Amino acid sequence: MTSAWLAWRTMRRYRARTALATIGVAIIGALLFDMLLLSRGLVTSFADLLNHSGYDVRVLNSQGFSLARATIPRASEVDAAIARLPEVASVARIRLEPATAMHHGADINVALISSTHSGTQVAWTLISGADLPADGASADRCPVLVASNLAARLELQPGAPLSLRAGVSGERSVLPAVACRVVGIGASPFSAGDEYQVLTTLSGMRAVRGGADDDTADVVLVASRPESGPAAAVHAIAARHPDLHVYSNEDVVEQFNQNGFAYFRQISVVLSSITIVFTVLLVATILTVSTNQRLGEIAALRALGIGRRRIATMLLWESVLIVGVGGLLALPLGGLVAVGLDGILKQMPGIPEALHFFVFEGRAVALHALLLSTTALVAALYPMWLTARLPIASTLRREVVG
Amino acid sequence: MTPRAIVEARSVGRVFPMPAGPVTALRDVSLRIDAADYVAITGPSGCGKSTLLHLVGCVDAPTSGSIVFEDRDVQSLGETARSRIRLTRIGFVFQRFFLLPMLTAGENIELPQAEAGVPAAARRARTAELLEYVGLANRADHLPSQLSGGEMQRTAIARALANRPALLVADEPTGELDEETGEHVAALFDRVHADGTAILMVTHNAALAARATRRYAMKNGMLAS
Repeated sequence: MTSAWLAWRTMRRYRARTALATIGVAIIGALLFDMLLLSRGLVTSFADLLNHSGYDVRVLNSQGFSLARATIPRASEVDAAIARLPEVASVARIRLEPATAMHHGADINVALISSTHSGTQVAWTLISGADLPADGASADRCPVLVASNLAARLELQPGAPLSLRAGVSGERSVLPAVACRVVGIGASPFSAGDEYQVLTTLSGMRAVRGGADDDTADVVLVASRPESGPAAAVHAIAARHPDLHVYSNEDVVEQFNQNGFAYFRQISVVLSSITIVFTVLLVATILTVSTNQRLGEIAALRALGIGRRRIATMLLWESVLIVGVGGLLALPLGGLVAVGLDGILKQMPGIPEALHFFVFEGRAVALHALLLSTTALVAALYPMWLTARLPIASTLRREVVG
Repeated sequence: MTPRAIVEARSVGRVFPMPAGPVTALRDVSLRIDAADYVAITGPSGCGKSTLLHLVGCVDAPTSGSIVFEDRDVQSLGETARSRIRLTRIGFVFQRFFLLPMLTAGENIELPQAEAGVPAAARRARTAELLEYVGLANRADHLPSQLSGGEMQRTAIARALANRPALLVADEPTGELDEETGEHVAALFDRVHADGTAILMVTHNAALAARATRRYAMKNGMLAS
């Protein structure tokens, strides 16, 4: 006849009260769980996204990731110099250019990306057709790998022609469209749902730009050697090119964590705190009302010599059981809500398909359990204090008179 | 040889502080209960009967005088020690039974034994014995809501006897029962007394009080034979 057993029997006896309290905790707990997933979800997802690319160092010509474009000049020299470093395993040069895709009378703005490497080497997933060949390894003047959303929109199949016109400014803005050939259809983890991406080779980019080659790159992606690690590679590249800005994936994630994602963390902290307060109030109110309804019983138990500790512990167990069961139910419920909210948030423009706002982590479950355990304890404190301080004689008298 | 006193109230007084001014519930009351006693206290409502019972039952403290339970001054004891006395030496029977509604009759009787640290097997045996004693052997697994008033009070008496107390204190034990059921409960008290447990009972019921070996009337917080 432990206190936990007594608490369990009490909860079974008052089923409706227990069910309402548990459902209440489950709903509030689900929101708490979602906030915990949100607090780190974007950062975790972003880190996964970067690491998925297979490159762990990024070289830029601007500090941070500002919107103002600053390309790396003499990119081929930079590429070659970095590739010669002993800490570096491979290097890919990436160039971005706005362009217009034309097919059967439809004009669509696309992001034209050129890479020195094949599509799968820069994290694209091939859906159909062939991979983009490495630069110079194809007889095609302008082979392209198109994102699946663009392929669906223009009804493109591998082997289909696709006209691309560069969206360059100035005198070259009158450049004619270039006939490219779709070698395959793929998906990039960095592609947003509302964005159409086309990947091509450096030669393909040069052709679309009317033969102009300014030998620049927007970013140089570097894969460090496993035995060196990204930190050593960053150090070596920065020493070799002090004019450029070099970041490991960790640096990038940390920078975003400090700036772009801080809002989500703050929102999460505020909403988590509110949900915890609501949980405490809900459980404390239910336990207090329940205790007040049972004052006669409790005074009688005390008169019979049942210790204050056992009665207080019984109340604590009631709180733990309500919050525990509610907290467990909150996990699948919160998971479902997170999937729905993630879908809504990902409809924001510019959000890559593979990026998620809510990411399931064991750490979030552990924190959820810790916060709810503390909540159960805090919620039980007042009813426990009430029973411990209960004047036995006057309560019995009042109960009989009442 | 003088029998050993179980509990002794020595010139006890009890004053309750109230917003409108202090109310004196007991004035200089002395009462001794020995092992073979069956004491009944009668009197009108508000005369201080229950207050005296609470003092003797160690659930309240006098504002003057002292309560000595088995040679120990109760006021000098902490709450844990007083609780231990109530658990092992005193059995309480209440007007409204106060059985735990989520426990069966048997479990209600087991609870004080569990608190006293009695092993499970011994608890079950004692519970079966007590249910048999109060005539509820076939009601062990029934919840209080499935029992009649008389059955609930008999369960409460069995619960009060669970740890073999020296003293049974009963506050209006037939107050919620009809006459016939009250008679059965009164007969059970007679049996408990005959089996060696001292009883202190406060009641309005003159017939019940008449069964006691010593009777007192209480008026305005004072006791008279």
